[in-house]
Amino acid sequence: MAETNLDWDKIANNSKFLELKSKKRNFLFSWWIVSTIYYLLLPVISGYFPEAFRVQVIGPINFGYLFILSQFVVAIGVAIYYAHVANKDFDRLTKQLLDALQ
Amino acid sequence: MKNGIAAITIALSLSVSAVAALSAATPAGAAPAPALSAPGAAAIQPQAAAATQPQAAAGANPAVKSAAKGADTAPAKVTPNRGITIGMFALIIAVTMGVVVWAAKKTQTAADFYTAGGGITGFQNGWAIAGDYMSAASFLGMSGLISLYGIDGFMYAVGPMFSFIAILLVIAEPCRNAGRYTLGDILSFRSSPKIVRGVAALSTVTVSIFYLIAQMVGAGKLMQMLLNIPYRVSVIGVGALMVAYVVFGGMKATTWVQIIKASLLMGATTVLCVLVAVKSGLNPVTFFTDIVNSSAIQEHVRMNVLKDVIAKEGVNYGQRFLEPGLFLKNPLDQISLGFAWALGAAGLPHILMRFFTVPSAKEARKSIIIALFLNASFFFMISIIGFGAALYLTPQNILAVDKGGNMATLLLAQYMGGGPGSLGGDIFLAFICAVAFATILAVVSGLVLAASAAIAHDVYVNIIKDGKADQQLQVKVARITSLLVGTAAILMGLAAEKENVVALVALAFAVAASGNFPVVILSLFWKKFNTAGIVSGLVVGTVTALGLVMISPVMTYPKKVAADAKKVVETLEKKVAGGVVLADKEVKALEKARVEYQKNKDGTSMVGLDQAIFPLKNPGIVSVPIGFLAAVFGCLLFRERRAEEMFAEIDVRQNTGLGIAKASDH
Repeated sequence: MAETNLDWDKIANNSKFLELKSKKRNFLFSWWIVSTIYYLLLPVISGYFPEAFRVQVIGPINFGYLFILSQFVVAIGVAIYYAHVANKDFDRLTKQLLDALQ
Repeated sequence: MKNGIAAITIALSLSVSAVAALSAATPAGAAPAPALSAPGAAAIQPQAAAATQPQAAAGANPAVKSAAKGADTAPAKVTPNRGITIGMFALIIAVTMGVVVWAAKKTQTAADFYTAGGGITGFQNGWAIAGDYMSAASFLGMSGLISLYGIDGFMYAVGPMFSFIAILLVIAEPCRNAGRYTLGDILSFRSSPKIVRGVAALSTVTVSIFYLIAQMVGAGKLMQMLLNIPYRVSVIGVGALMVAYVVFGGMKATTWVQIIKASLLMGATTVLCVLVAVKSGLNPVTFFTDIVNSSAIQEHVRMNVLKDVIAKEGVNYGQRFLEPGLFLKNPLDQISLGFAWALGAAGLPHILMRFFTVPSAKEARKSIIIALFLNASFFFMISIIGFGAALYLTPQNILAVDKGGNMATLLLAQYMGGGPGSLGGDIFLAFICAVAFATILAVVSGLVLAASAAIAHDVYVNIIKDGKADQQLQVKVARITSLLVGTAAILMGLAAEKENVVALVALAFAVAASGNFPVVILSLFWKKFNTAGIVSGLVVGTVTALGLVMISPVMTYPKKVAADAKKVVETLEKKVAGGVVLADKEVKALEKARVEYQKNKDGTSMVGLDQAIFPLKNPGIVSVPIGFLAAVFGCLLFRERRAEEMFAEIDVRQNTGLGIAKASDH
């Protein structure tokens, strides 16, 4: 392993690294928490407020069905959005940092 | 989960299906194998009662009803055409064995064996993750649940789909950057390596073995039910194949088996889903209107599920099928299960391991996005298949074949192919059976690989040999441990035939969520985290999860079984007292219930209980916070300077991929 003699502390305090790190943490943890709460709303609403699920929206299709469906949309949406931000911002910042370290 | 996780459902559906296999085989008089005789029934029945609430109350009744009805209705059973089905199985075995031979030639180093040399692309890995995760039970059991309980079944499918979000956002890329082959690699980075590796290996082996046994038992029962292959033969056969894949082909073969399986599964699911969609006229509103207006579904909801003998006024039983509460009753249990789904998959060692097979974090990201997309499409299509099965086959017909509904997908395939006995029906049914078979093989292989990597890499190479082992020795040891793990899984699978597999899968997911997940995330993101934190988090999280499952309602409680058996005895004896002559089947049912009652009336559960102490089937809501707290307290109690100083390194590594373990690192 040729790279073990890197000065990790120095890199860890590099301003570019700190920028990358804080951007990533903010983005990842906030989206993770938001999406998990959205997911947990499913058992909460269906269990404690089942009447909300019964509201018919289009013909026999009710809010419950649409809400479950929205979970799939949200999951895929978060994934696509994350890929977009990561490819655009995180990868670019990482590359800049690595280039600067060379 | 399997499928999983598809976790609880896996076991739930498979155990239920076992009961159905019994009830389906017995009235048909179709030579039930010795393994299916009364003692087996006694052991399996209670799981179904414990696992599926709606049936719990009726546990005793349906047996009586179906026995009474048996005379005038033809014995219901899915009978795949053996020739075609076995041909397709042989084709799958031949193709995968070809893959193994090819992969074996390329497996030279430890990195090749554990991670395919990091040479899997993100796209391939995405399919392989999906293949690792989507289980036969989701394919068969989930659609069955939907066909019987409507929207509650659909709601159940959201968990396994959503569990990839945590992996995507906080696990996949950091793990790719910080680890090499195993969970122990990530955790031991800045802690005392030997003790942490030891505990991590123990936890990995525990989770993988629980999951593995559940899959083996499921596989055995599925093959028995579909093709009448004896349980032992199927377990040994599936086990032998899985050992061959892993021992000779390592990660490369396992990956390709998973990719093949995922393609077959997605293909089969898409075809079935499209057929249902076309049949329904491609209009979701008409599709659901037809479901609501189906008199069979209305009657099923009223009689079988809600048990309203006289229709209640103002209740639209068809619409009720699309409303929650038919299957999932306890909201707190659902939330608790939600915790396990949301965090458990991210702590499954065989899923974590998949991220080491790609060359970079970017590829890891790509793979989990593809996996998430496949997973979401899969579970959505399964919901269409489930609703389609309810509409076109009717819940009554599905129930007649299997009380857990596990045959819904198969029956639908047969129906869509042209019906029982037709060539199209036979071929389509055989194809779906073969897909289920491939699915089992892929899931078990990934599990064996993860467990043996923990033993060979963490325990043998890094603890016993201090990391000083040449490549040849490492690969040799890895192969030997795979063989041993595989053999152990086969033996345990054989021994566990009559065990309660529901509890096993619940255990695997609970341990992954409460033990592994907190320590992985804290290791990656918390500066102060250290050896004491890892050990206490893993140990306390695991023990809490294990302990709670042991005293939860998923275990078998013989006194409850005895009570159910007693009900059957009383019902039938009352009939006799009333002057009714019992049919053959009723006499048999009566005898069986008497035996069951005698056997179970003084029994206690595995830990000596008469009934569950912990009210929830899933311990997540309690054990996950305890796992986190234990990790935090343990760490704060024994501060470790070195771990804090080394945080800079893991922080830089996991964020940037600097110093990433290359495939060529020896």
